[in-house]
Amino acid sequence: MTAWLDERRQQAAESNEVLSVPSLSDEHWRFTSLRGIDFATYAATVDAVPGEPQGAILAEGEHAGRIVMRDGGVVLDEFSPEVAAQGVVFGSLKRLAEEHSDLVEPVLGTIVGYDEKFAAENGALWTDGLLLHVPAGVKVALPFHAAYEIATAGAAQQWRVIISLGEGAEATLVEEHLKGEPGYANGVAELVVAESAHLTYVVVQDRNNASLHFAAHRAEVAKDATLEWAACSTGSKTGKTRMETRLTGEGSTGRLSAVYVVDGKRHLDLDTTQEHDAPNAVSDLAFKGVLLDDARSVWRGVIRVAEGAHGTDAYQENRNLLLSPKARADSIPGLEIDTNDVRCTHGATAGPVDPMLRFYLMSRGIPAVEAERMIVEGFLEDALERIPDERIRTALTTAVMRRIPIF
Amino acid sequence: MPDLVIRNLHANITGTDTELLKGIDLQMSKGEIHAIMGPNGSGKSTLSHVLMGHPGYEVTEGEVLFEGQNLLDLAADQRSRAGLFLSFQYPFAVPGVTVANFIRMAVNAHRKGGPDGVDNPVRIPEFRKQIQEAMELLEIDKSMASRSLNDGFSGGEKKRFEILQMAMLQPKIAILDETDSGLDIDALRIVSDGINRLVGPNMGTLIITHYQRILDYVKPDQIHVLMDGRIVRSGGAELAHELETSGYADIAKEVVS
Repeated sequence: MTAWLDERRQQAAESNEVLSVPSLSDEHWRFTSLRGIDFATYAATVDAVPGEPQGAILAEGEHAGRIVMRDGGVVLDEFSPEVAAQGVVFGSLKRLAEEHSDLVEPVLGTIVGYDEKFAAENGALWTDGLLLHVPAGVKVALPFHAAYEIATAGAAQQWRVIISLGEGAEATLVEEHLKGEPGYANGVAELVVAESAHLTYVVVQDRNNASLHFAAHRAEVAKDATLEWAACSTGSKTGKTRMETRLTGEGSTGRLSAVYVVDGKRHLDLDTTQEHDAPNAVSDLAFKGVLLDDARSVWRGVIRVAEGAHGTDAYQENRNLLLSPKARADSIPGLEIDTNDVRCTHGATAGPVDPMLRFYLMSRGIPAVEAERMIVEGFLEDALERIPDERIRTALTTAVMRRIPIF
Repeated sequence: MPDLVIRNLHANITGTDTELLKGIDLQMSKGEIHAIMGPNGSGKSTLSHVLMGHPGYEVTEGEVLFEGQNLLDLAADQRSRAGLFLSFQYPFAVPGVTVANFIRMAVNAHRKGGPDGVDNPVRIPEFRKQIQEAMELLEIDKSMASRSLNDGFSGGEKKRFEILQMAMLQPKIAILDETDSGLDIDALRIVSDGINRLVGPNMGTLIITHYQRILDYVKPDQIHVLMDGRIVRSGGAELAHELETSGYADIAKEVVS
C-alpha cells in the first residue's frame, strides 16, 4: 500500500466520523429527507461478484475500454491495446492507483473534498471504480463504457471514478448504473479536463427502484476546454446526485443536459453548480423531467460567478411535466454573482400537459394517448437533441420513454 | 341532407353559465364556400372550437350532424378522422416534434381510421413527395420541414402551416378561423390560392373572418353574419361589400329594431 493512499483514506475517514447524516435543516437537504434510512443495514462489499450485468443500454458495439463493477469489485476490465499504445491509461482504479500514482495522487480527493458526509464516506471506503487518463493531444474516437451493478440484495457499493484529459485530448465515457438488486450505492467521480480538451461524459442512472443512489460528480474545465455532460435518470428510490462544474479557464464551456423520469413513490434529487472562475466561459444547463404517480423531483442549481469572471454567459433551466396530480417537482435556481458584465439567466417550470396543446394534436386526428406521448417525447427531445452522438441520443430517448407506462 | 348540419347550437364556457352560442343554425356541403363574419366577441372562434371539440366549451342544446353522424358524440381526433378540419387562429407550438413527423403521424392516424382500424402507414417516399408538393404550392421553404412545428414561427408562417396540414389531410369540411389575420398581402394571395385549389367537389370550407379581405380571393357562395352568438343575417357575396361600407353597427341596429 502506498502511503499517500492510506493518508487520503484516513483523512476522509476522520471527516466521515465527524459529519452526521444530513437532515432537512441542512440547506442542501431541505427537500430530501433521509429519515428512517438505516445505512448500517447495508453490508459493505469489497469483492467482485462474478456474473453478467443486466440492462445496460449502451454496452453494445465497439469500445475503447470497458469496466464492469459488481458489488465491491471489478469483474470485467477490458482495454483496447491500440488505444493503450497511444499512452492512454484505462482500467480498475484499485489496480491502477499505485502503478499510476502520478495520475491518481493529484486528483483523488482534491476535486471532490471530504467536507460532505457521503463524499467523505466514499473517500474512506471506496473499493474500486475506474481511472481514465488520456495524454495531451490524443483523441480517442471510440467510447469507454463503465457499468456498476449491485449483485447482492442489501449490499453497499462504493464506486470511484477519476478521469483526466491532457491538453487537447478527447474522449467519451459512458457510465451506467444498472438496476441490479436493491442496495446502497455511493460514489464520487472526479473529472479534470485540461486546456482545449473535450470530454463527453454520459451518466445513465437506472438503479433498482428500491436502491439508494448517492453520487458526487465534479469537473474542472480549463482554458478553451469543453465538457459535454449528459445525464439520464430513471432509477433509484431516493438519494442525491451532485453534478458540479467548475470552469477554471478562460473560454471554457460546460454543456449540461439531463432527462429524468420519476414514478411511484420515488424521489430524485439533482444538485448542480456552474462555477465560473474565469472570464468568457459559457455554461448551459437544461434539465427536463417527467413525473408520475406520487413521485417527486428536486433540482437545486446555483450559478456562481467569481470576481473577475467577466464575459460569463451562464444559463440554467429546469422544466418538469407532471403527469399525475400528486407528483411534485421543486426547482431552486440560484445566482451568486461577484462581478459585472455577465449574462446569467434561468427558468423553471412544472405543470401538466397543456390540454389545449393536446386538443391541437387531437384536432389533427391523433388519438389522445398518442398525442400525449408526442408531447412528452417532444418535451424531452429539447434536452436530448443537445447530445451530439446519435447512438447515445437514441438510447437515452428509448430509456426514458419506456419508463412512462401510459405509452 | 347537407354534409354539415348545425341545428339550434348552444354552448357555454365549460363549467360556467356563460353562454356564448345562443342557437346557431347553419347547413353546408362539400364543394361550397361559406363565410361567417362578425365583430370581435360575437362567437365566431367559439363556433369553430365547439365544432372541433375544444375542451373549454360545452354544448348545452342543439345538434351537429356531419354526413348524418352525430358529431358531438365524437372526440376531437375522431372528428378529424371523420373529415373535419380546423385551421386555428392561434396555432400551438409543438416543441421537439418536426413538421414532417407531426404531419406524418396525423396522416397515418387518418389512414388507420377508427379505433379498431388497421395500421396502414404511408410509405416514406410517397409522403415526402406529397408534402414537398404541398409545400411548393404554399411557397414554404423545404428546410422548414425539419423544424419543430410552429416553434418560433412567425404569425404568417403558422397560418401557412395550418393550410399545409389541411392540404395533407384532405378534409371534407375545413373551418378556417381567421386564417387571413397576420398575413401580408403576398402571403394572403399564396394561402388563398392554396385554398382555392383544394376546395372542390371533395371539400367545402367555412371561412371565419372579421374582415372581408380574404373574400376578395376566396369567393364565398354564402355569407352569414354572426352577432352575440346568433346568425342574424345570411346572404350572397354582396353581403360582404354591404358590411364593408356600412359596418356591423347598421346590422346591429337592424337586428335590435
